[in-house]
Amino acid sequence: MDFDLSGDQKILQTSVREFLNKECSKDKVRELEEDERGYDIEMWKKMAELEWMGVVFPEEYGGTEGDFIDLMILVEEMGRYILPSPFFSTILSSLSILEYGDEGQKEKFLPKIAKGEEIWTLALMESSVTYEASGIKLRAIPEKEEYILEGTKLFVPYAHVADRLLVVARTSEEKNPKDGITVFIVDVAKTKGLEVEVIPTAAHDKQCEVRFDHVKVSKDNVLGDVGRGWDVVNFIIQRGAVLKCAEMVGGAQAVLEMANDYAKERVQFDRPIGSFQAIQHKLADMFTEIEGLRYLVYEAAWMINVGSPSDLLISMGKAKANEVYQRTCIEGIRIHGAIGFTREEDVGLYYLRTKAAEFAFGDTDSHRKQIAIELERS
Amino acid sequence: MDFKFGEKEEALREEIREFAREELPPGWLTVMLEEESRDEDWAFAMSISKKLSERGWLTMSWPEEYGGKGASLWEQLVYLEESGYWGIPGTMMGISGVAWVGPSLMMYGSEEQKEKYLPLIASGEPDGVWCTGYSEPNAGSDFANIQTRAVREEDEYVINGQKTWTSAAHRARWCWLAAVTNPNAPKKHQRISVLIVDMKSKGVTVNPLVNYAGYHIFNEVFFDDVRVPESSLVGEENRGWYQLMTSLAYERGSLGPSGYGYNKRILDELVRYAKETNLFQKHEIRCKLADMAIEVEMQRMLVSQTTWKMSKGEMPTYEPSRDKVFNDKVQERLAITGTEILGAYSQIDPLHRDSRWSKLRGCVESLYWLFPGISISAGTDEIEKNIIGQFGLGLPKSY
Repeated sequence: MDFDLSGDQKILQTSVREFLNKECSKDKVRELEEDERGYDIEMWKKMAELEWMGVVFPEEYGGTEGDFIDLMILVEEMGRYILPSPFFSTILSSLSILEYGDEGQKEKFLPKIAKGEEIWTLALMESSVTYEASGIKLRAIPEKEEYILEGTKLFVPYAHVADRLLVVARTSEEKNPKDGITVFIVDVAKTKGLEVEVIPTAAHDKQCEVRFDHVKVSKDNVLGDVGRGWDVVNFIIQRGAVLKCAEMVGGAQAVLEMANDYAKERVQFDRPIGSFQAIQHKLADMFTEIEGLRYLVYEAAWMINVGSPSDLLISMGKAKANEVYQRTCIEGIRIHGAIGFTREEDVGLYYLRTKAAEFAFGDTDSHRKQIAIELERS
Repeated sequence: MDFKFGEKEEALREEIREFAREELPPGWLTVMLEEESRDEDWAFAMSISKKLSERGWLTMSWPEEYGGKGASLWEQLVYLEESGYWGIPGTMMGISGVAWVGPSLMMYGSEEQKEKYLPLIASGEPDGVWCTGYSEPNAGSDFANIQTRAVREEDEYVINGQKTWTSAAHRARWCWLAAVTNPNAPKKHQRISVLIVDMKSKGVTVNPLVNYAGYHIFNEVFFDDVRVPESSLVGEENRGWYQLMTSLAYERGSLGPSGYGYNKRILDELVRYAKETNLFQKHEIRCKLADMAIEVEMQRMLVSQTTWKMSKGEMPTYEPSRDKVFNDKVQERLAITGTEILGAYSQIDPLHRDSRWSKLRGCVESLYWLFPGISISAGTDEIEKNIIGQFGLGLPKSY
């Protein structure tokens, strides 16, 4: 067993941290919350120059041949700085192209993504707001060489600026709701009938409602096999969950550090409040939980990386991350006292992102259910 | 990053499982801290100690010259996890022999002490069983406040005082004793030395303290003019506190893995029970089991991380405290949720855990009765959190 990052991974971690420390201050985060696009185009270009977008791609597609652990390290740091960016949705989409795309699709899309020329996102969730297959109602009806898409997707990150959407649609009604699902690649600029509206989320993180009104998609733009799209979706949810966990670990760690620093500085009753056990033990609990969570998430990512069955670990990680991120933010605010309740203090920015993270790629209960299925099997 | 064990460790795991199948009665499920209580259990534990010694497992990470086989910390981790899981008794040689007396002697003991005591512990014989004399009526969490005196008289120390909560004192041949040797030192911590006391010495009296569940685990130990040779001093006089802090932090790290193994077993038993009784079909039960499974896996990762740190030659600081607090938390959850799953069957007296009304051999309710006590032993959770705060987070001293 080895809990350490490799030398290259440590360099990557340091460089990401240094970059974001410089480019992604909390004032920047606040500024981007008010920005219509919700991300900084200049920063996006620099990220592409640093080769972050293609970190897991083979060289032939303009990538740097890193692995899933590298990607996880990147995302953990982004979570630490709560970077507002379509990076997450773009990279997750590209992972599924890499896994399920045909050669033509890979050649066409991946180099552009690697260069930062395209923003991608996932149109997956619908009004049921679950990740269950039965929630996929958006219809795709075949018509000659095309499919006609009708329906509405919810909480689609950065759809308002996306170049392409991965749309999960129902192409046939089958007994098992996991059957009859197909994933489409939709070119936003060339497609008519798409309507995008930004949902007013607490984090101002640009999640959108996307309405499909008689949207035509060529049959060439199916990702994977028709009717077997749930495999793709499952792949996306699994990878997305682990990466979201890494983001949450980064966020929780940042909140812990803020609260810990504050507890050392803030003096009441002539002593730093961190010298009171009521505060110190709270911080010790937060610290222990975050460390345990981090290793759980690293283990899940490692299993994905080596190709071991990882469903159980992924669900454990996400269920725990949901709990720990929320708990850390709540206690972090309390340790700060009233100042933690203000817009000026950074801790609130993290708290405002807890729900987006919690419900992305499976809420706690859905992951508990998955764990129980695995326990039943064992 | 790599989270798998090597072939060597996996092979050892299989060997230990086979040992457990061969040497333990069918369906064997153990209760923590139980083995010191009843004579027949103790005799069985000692018979297993002997067999573990013969396999070279009892003190596997010790150097060969002292009765170990120089195994890696990873092999030791696997051994401890498996012994916890299968409830292999007799792994500790009392409470302290294997876990900290031996390693401390290796760090601070004289050549003579090492040659005398280490092979005894490694032998798995009753003469290698130890108890630890730290706590006193007025020195619990405030351990440096001990009053037991050891006064030098020519080539002997004369010991007077009282120890309490001394686990396995009624089974031990030796006591690893903390006593005051310099009452006039400017700081409490500079008064203390570590001495080895033969429990057969004249003036040593052991009085049983029975816990509320009926187990005789700990004792009061009185020392009345007990004379030990000066060669019983471990390390330097008046440096005892510092010796104990370094060796204990290091060695507590080895207690985590067996706790994990034990907890994993309880979880597996609860899952099996829930399946057999169809309770597993209930949504609430499934959620509870899932939550416990998460915590148990987290514990596995935490104790592994501690071992990893030690395996790189680094001294663990707050990690053993972290792992201890986490173990207590997991056990509390397993005990409370586990008894909820067993329902009314969980109220059977643990001393009658073989009765036909008892489920899972009483291990779940025993954990329920014992976990508050376990969480107090070896440093309360509050004391451990102080250590995490100070050494893990760099916070000011809070007491």
